[in-house]
Amino acid sequence: MQLSTSEISELIKSRLENFSTSAEARTQGTVISVTDGIVRIHGLSNVMAGEMIEFPGNTFGLALNLERDSVGAVVLGDYEHITEGDICKCTGRILEVPVGPELIGRVVNALGQPIDGKGPVNAKMTDKIEKVAPGVIARKSVSQPVQTGLKSVDSMVPVGRGQRELIIGDRQTGKTAVAIDAIINQKGQNMTCIYVAIGQKASTVANVVRKLEENGALAYTIVVAATASDSAALQFLAPYSGCTMGEYFRDRGEDALIVYDDLTKQAIAYRQISLLLRRPPGREAYPGDVFYIHSRLLERAARVNEEYVEKFTNGAIKGKTGSLTALPVIETAAGDVSAFVPTNVISITDGQIFLETDLFNAGIRPAINAGISVSRVGGAAQTKVIKKLGGGVRLALAQYRELAAFAQFASDLDEATRKQLDRGRMFTELMKQAQYAPLSISNMAITLLAANKGYFDDVPTNKVLAFETSLHGFMGSKYKALMDGIESSKDLAGDNEKAVEAAIQDFKATNAY
Amino acid sequence: MAEISTIARPYAVAAYKLGKESKSLAKWSEMLGFAAAVSSDAQMQAYIQDPKVVSSDLLATFLKVAGDKLNEHGQNLIKVLVEYNRMSILPAITSAFEELKAQDEGTLDAQIIAAAKPSAAEIKDLVKRLEAKFGKKIEATVSVDSELIGGIKIIVGDTVIDASVKGQLQNLAYTLSA
Repeated sequence: MQLSTSEISELIKSRLENFSTSAEARTQGTVISVTDGIVRIHGLSNVMAGEMIEFPGNTFGLALNLERDSVGAVVLGDYEHITEGDICKCTGRILEVPVGPELIGRVVNALGQPIDGKGPVNAKMTDKIEKVAPGVIARKSVSQPVQTGLKSVDSMVPVGRGQRELIIGDRQTGKTAVAIDAIINQKGQNMTCIYVAIGQKASTVANVVRKLEENGALAYTIVVAATASDSAALQFLAPYSGCTMGEYFRDRGEDALIVYDDLTKQAIAYRQISLLLRRPPGREAYPGDVFYIHSRLLERAARVNEEYVEKFTNGAIKGKTGSLTALPVIETAAGDVSAFVPTNVISITDGQIFLETDLFNAGIRPAINAGISVSRVGGAAQTKVIKKLGGGVRLALAQYRELAAFAQFASDLDEATRKQLDRGRMFTELMKQAQYAPLSISNMAITLLAANKGYFDDVPTNKVLAFETSLHGFMGSKYKALMDGIESSKDLAGDNEKAVEAAIQDFKATNAY
Repeated sequence: MAEISTIARPYAVAAYKLGKESKSLAKWSEMLGFAAAVSSDAQMQAYIQDPKVVSSDLLATFLKVAGDKLNEHGQNLIKVLVEYNRMSILPAITSAFEELKAQDEGTLDAQIIAAAKPSAAEIKDLVKRLEAKFGKKIEATVSVDSELIGGIKIIVGDTVIDASVKGQLQNLAYTLSA
């Protein structure tokens, strides 16, 4: 890292300018005990809940338990140098992190400090990490789509701007892949993305960052990482830090997408802190307020109306709504959604994308279970053309599942049933999609239209995806104007539909796949 | 595990209330101070913590050592403490009691640490200002610490007013390194 001398002296100059030498009155306390990152402090009579406490050696802690004779605080970072008898003092501040567009493209820790070796983050503002979510008056209903670029998600479980859509599934079912694909597809969609990695391996985080960089997605993404080696306190705080960074954009009439990967680990980190603070354990040893840690976090993902944005920016930005869309991730154990944390988060969010190991192993990737994946508000926000064409997919897959169960017993089937089974098989195959290959709206529309109109019916099941790929290539080169029209209007007018059908017929007549 | 001060508080409050009702706070203070001093004696400590000592023996020994320094109420307190096996927290009870007493009298202990010995007039002025700030009578103890380099540092309970050169240098160091 290179620093020029002028930079350093400028820095020092500004700091000296701002340095005041008045007598400082503060409340102080004495450390009674240090155990596993939890510090008990005697004194600190005026401390606030959630206030930052300064320890010797430039270390900070967070006051979590205010008891009659002591304060329980969790140390943010290393605590080995804090010893019994150390003096600590109140700072009078609630924990803040830097916010603003300067963070985009950076990898920071839960406190907003850069960890990517690209030099300091020159953010001009900081903001509190714990804030109250906008109230009912400030909100607007979700009506604009977030295109994830995944056929199965956009057609069956559409996500709207400001929605909270849970991604849930066992380990190794592609939860992160769905979220990362959604981020990659936001290129040019006026969306700032925040990826919060909680309790993951540092190598996994590095991989995600590399993939984002390779796909050009880091240019509009902030990565907040609290890896498995960070303290539980940082893992617990990381989602709130990321959320505050996202709210900066929401409150200024922009759109942001935040991925919490994953909230199970956050709950586990919080459980650790709570047990060490000797709070009474409840179900699965989680403390009583484990629901609240997730509900208050996800409640902050919202779409806010024009008045709110105008008021927040003091009239600088008029007539724009802001949104923060959340994609929380929850890892289940052996598909058990009735465990404590999964049920909590399912009940908080506006729908879930359910990923299954069996489907994943059967080669259906993304391994979305279409039957139990739902989006409670996304339908109102779905892109017109996808809504028009994608309606049949869910139905076809539902009928297929039902018939497939019956067909196992029957030896010979009538023509109609067989046709329906074939169609279901085709749709199942068609919903498969490679990783890091999100589809544009026009390509998705072409695929869905071709499937609906039966152009896939005479294609062998194992050739469906190859057919789709060459169809997209063909349409992109020969019918570019038509495709661009669909892309910009996000709709398929009567004439266009005929033109597209003609183009598909042209493709089938002239191309091999 | 509750903290010692939490365990000691109810005893201190009981002693304080009794002392207030019978207008014998000064006597109580004297008794508790004496009892705490006795119990913190090394030999006595070992005796209190010895598991082989029967509680009735401990009580008898303690009362014998105390002699006529404890009145009837004071002896009762010791009996209760022995019965509940809480003899070891006597010093904590005493300090909690003194806190309550000081609160009642409206006094606050202030520690004034100065780099150079302040004059009597300066101390008087300082105490007056502190009394105005905290709204209570201030009982100041003055000490000199040349490590402060210059200025003074005042500690009143949990509140610290740091106007020393050392504190400001530390702040400057922190501001520059942050």
